[in-house]
Amino acid sequence: MKNAKLKIGLIAMTSLGMMWGSASAFAAEKRCTAGGQKVECPTITAAEAEAASAAFLKEGDDMEHGRGGSTYGIAPFDYLTGIGKRSAVAAEGVKAGTYKTESGYGHQQKGSLKTELWDRVNAPASDGVKDKSVYDQWANNWSPKFGETLVAGADPTHGKSYYYSYCIACHGWLMHGDGPSASELDPRPRTLTRGDYMQKKTNLELFTVIKGGGEAVSLSSSMPNWGNVLQDQDIWNIVAFIRAMQDVPPPKSVAEYLAPKSTFKPIKGDVDALNASKSADFKDAQELIESDMTGRAPGSELVGGGFVAGGNRAAPTEVAVKAKK
Amino acid sequence: MVSALSMSCLMSGAVNAATDPSLQIPGWQNAVPDGKDTPTIDPMILYSSGGVDGKMAIIGIPSFKTYRHIDCGVDTHEISFGGSNKGNKNGTPDGKFVYLNDKGANTICEFDLQTGYLARVIALPFPFGVHHIALSTDGKHLFSTGEYSGKMAKTEIKSGKTEVIDWGPSPSAPDYIDATRNGKYVFAGNYYHSTVGVFSTSPFKLIKEIPVGKNPHGTDINPESTMVVVSDKLSATMTVIDVDKLAVKKVIPTCAGPLHSVMDVYNKDGGSYRAGIDSPDGLTSKYVYESCFVADANVKVSYAKLEVVDEIPTHYRTGHISISPDNSYVMALNKFSTGLFSPTGVIFPVNFEMWDAREKSPTYGKTLRIMPVDGEPHNAKGLMAYLIKDWTKGQAEQGGLIDKRVDLLDPPHRALSKRYFIPKETTAPGVKTVDGVKEVHMKAFSYGYIPRQVRVNKGDKVRLFATNIDKASGITKNPDVTMGLTIYGPYGQRSNMDLPRGITAVHEFTADIAGEYEIFCTHFCGPLHLEMRAAFFVDDPKKGPSNLAVGDYEQAQHLPGLLEEGQLTIAQRVKGL
Repeated sequence: MKNAKLKIGLIAMTSLGMMWGSASAFAAEKRCTAGGQKVECPTITAAEAEAASAAFLKEGDDMEHGRGGSTYGIAPFDYLTGIGKRSAVAAEGVKAGTYKTESGYGHQQKGSLKTELWDRVNAPASDGVKDKSVYDQWANNWSPKFGETLVAGADPTHGKSYYYSYCIACHGWLMHGDGPSASELDPRPRTLTRGDYMQKKTNLELFTVIKGGGEAVSLSSSMPNWGNVLQDQDIWNIVAFIRAMQDVPPPKSVAEYLAPKSTFKPIKGDVDALNASKSADFKDAQELIESDMTGRAPGSELVGGGFVAGGNRAAPTEVAVKAKK
Repeated sequence: MVSALSMSCLMSGAVNAATDPSLQIPGWQNAVPDGKDTPTIDPMILYSSGGVDGKMAIIGIPSFKTYRHIDCGVDTHEISFGGSNKGNKNGTPDGKFVYLNDKGANTICEFDLQTGYLARVIALPFPFGVHHIALSTDGKHLFSTGEYSGKMAKTEIKSGKTEVIDWGPSPSAPDYIDATRNGKYVFAGNYYHSTVGVFSTSPFKLIKEIPVGKNPHGTDINPESTMVVVSDKLSATMTVIDVDKLAVKKVIPTCAGPLHSVMDVYNKDGGSYRAGIDSPDGLTSKYVYESCFVADANVKVSYAKLEVVDEIPTHYRTGHISISPDNSYVMALNKFSTGLFSPTGVIFPVNFEMWDAREKSPTYGKTLRIMPVDGEPHNAKGLMAYLIKDWTKGQAEQGGLIDKRVDLLDPPHRALSKRYFIPKETTAPGVKTVDGVKEVHMKAFSYGYIPRQVRVNKGDKVRLFATNIDKASGITKNPDVTMGLTIYGPYGQRSNMDLPRGITAVHEFTADIAGEYEIFCTHFCGPLHLEMRAAFFVDDPKKGPSNLAVGDYEQAQHLPGLLEEGQLTIAQRVKGL
């Protein structure tokens, strides 16, 4: 039976506690499987994980103390003088148009009803930015947009939004397994860009581990089951985003960042979003996962695995991006 | 005398405060840096859910001073004044009761506004997991969302009778809810479906799902009941739904991480609405204010233009947003106070920030007041202070306050568990049995728990260890990130953990009621705080693995330990309410 390991994983899930006694001993072992072979898991080193954690901690500290473009700390909000609205009407004792703000933003708009923050969104000339890219980066998750997909029926651009929301804490911004929480986990999270490993992992395996969590495939319990948060199509979109980032190195320029070049080649006979409903393996795996999933009430409307239109997600047959030939 | 005086001042002031700030209102505290900070009689009062402290807070507007806290239970969420839902989010209150749902205990608390005490607790059926409530137009029912079960409910307030319906497929998380002011529809966001569900109120059933942006949050109806504004959290947009067509009218790019909206409200003459004085019919609105968590701002959207017309910075990470009953002030209920206040322990306070929304005021758009707040408030609603009579000098003996026995409930919301902190543990996540005790080790991060599902057996002694492993909040990077861990329902008061960074919280209790109970985060830790969920399964070996259909749900509804027998209205399940 092809999904025997899934069953084993699910048995482990229902009797938690079997796996944890020797969790730390797993790290150095060849406990990962790729293409049927036992291999060393593709992760960063402990030192790299520590460095990544420390870097994130520093970013937080910089933000609190107003370094690196942050307006925290340096922009007090006291009654009338701090960051905030400048008005066409002068406050008592203050001449109109004399506001100078410590953040450095906004004094071009004399007496306007717009706030400093509004100016920041609209990229003040002093920043040397002339388009809306500041706003886009800030508000629209300025990042790659994909014109084609490596997983039929799944859209990597939508997968990216959820990856950035849910996965980066452990797997890192660029999927290198270097999220700020990576150093806290043993075994450490996978480096998802490693082509020598990922090219051998099927879509079915990736979908299953995201939906059912590490335990569903006898791997680390630190990988949560996202099937209680994400619709199946959202998970397919994430799989497509992961495929789109295979062997993509840290970018050297913005242009490179916005146009990642993946080395992934779809695996012959693999399940994808478009054909999953016809796959017996996929169906078996889903039944096993769903049988133990939170938020389900067998025999009622509250069963999983359906499709709901919303959140700009499209059904596999309606996904506009074409599969790469 | 005092109340009569302030009321008469108020009646002239309320009409004009929004339109003509040059009119000085006697007794009104203008927030200017004049070095004076004297007590004042507040013309308005803010009722705030305390969130994780299980209470309701009462705060003066505009003094921004806390008057008191009243106990409700475990993790309080949405405030709704009794009366009618007409008008804006503050409703058209009759001054009798205020309702507050407790997400942690799966209850609705009913407070008597005049006594200032908790009067009754309505225990909702299990499984449910009430996130939010909305009052019906006739004031007789409360609609609620079952965030932790994918269900929706309609409860008759007087009897507690409750109709529960499923909203599948799973995963399904009904979240914010609002009811049209003509009694016709209920709208509720579902952040896993990324849709807004439209329900008919009678019969109570789903009639349509409208796709909106990613992970919608606030779902708010304008006083005219012509539009529903939806905050599409992960799409940085506001989706406007046309109520007549039940279809999307416009999608407006607003800001990063939009969470909630509140709108102003005007009476027929264009003045701000005065409860008990103006007709509750024909109320209108000009602006909707939306909170932007990631952008550290509130945006102002014109209903006429359906576009953003201004953006106000806030400090920091606004979650819910509230407006004073006279439209003068917008209150940003900020979830982070990074660097703002003196530390008082391992938990940092969140804050409320009041900014001047009067367009012609010299301080328009400025922050007038900012105050540290206990707990982790989810929402707050404003009430005209004249609706609360002065009972402090023996006026009750002249009648009008109570005519029968009124229980003054004060439920212990920390019970049936032993709780302590230990130095940060590094034990791998999972369940181990140690000396006959099931030790559950959990880690919390932005945004989730590891492991995601925990199973123990009925009767097990449980020692729950939880550690916040964040270095800083994901996405927003606030280093002062506190998390919580509460198992809703009968385990609400036994868990209700605070998870500050750097130490491990431990709670010990007995898992004596079977069922599937969601675990959720009770401190707002970031834009995906709401998705920070896990599940606690207590399996009865005689019945097999628990799920939403298998569990001791009748027993759970009695909330053992939270309330005494006789203090509880068990909401019976009915059909066709």
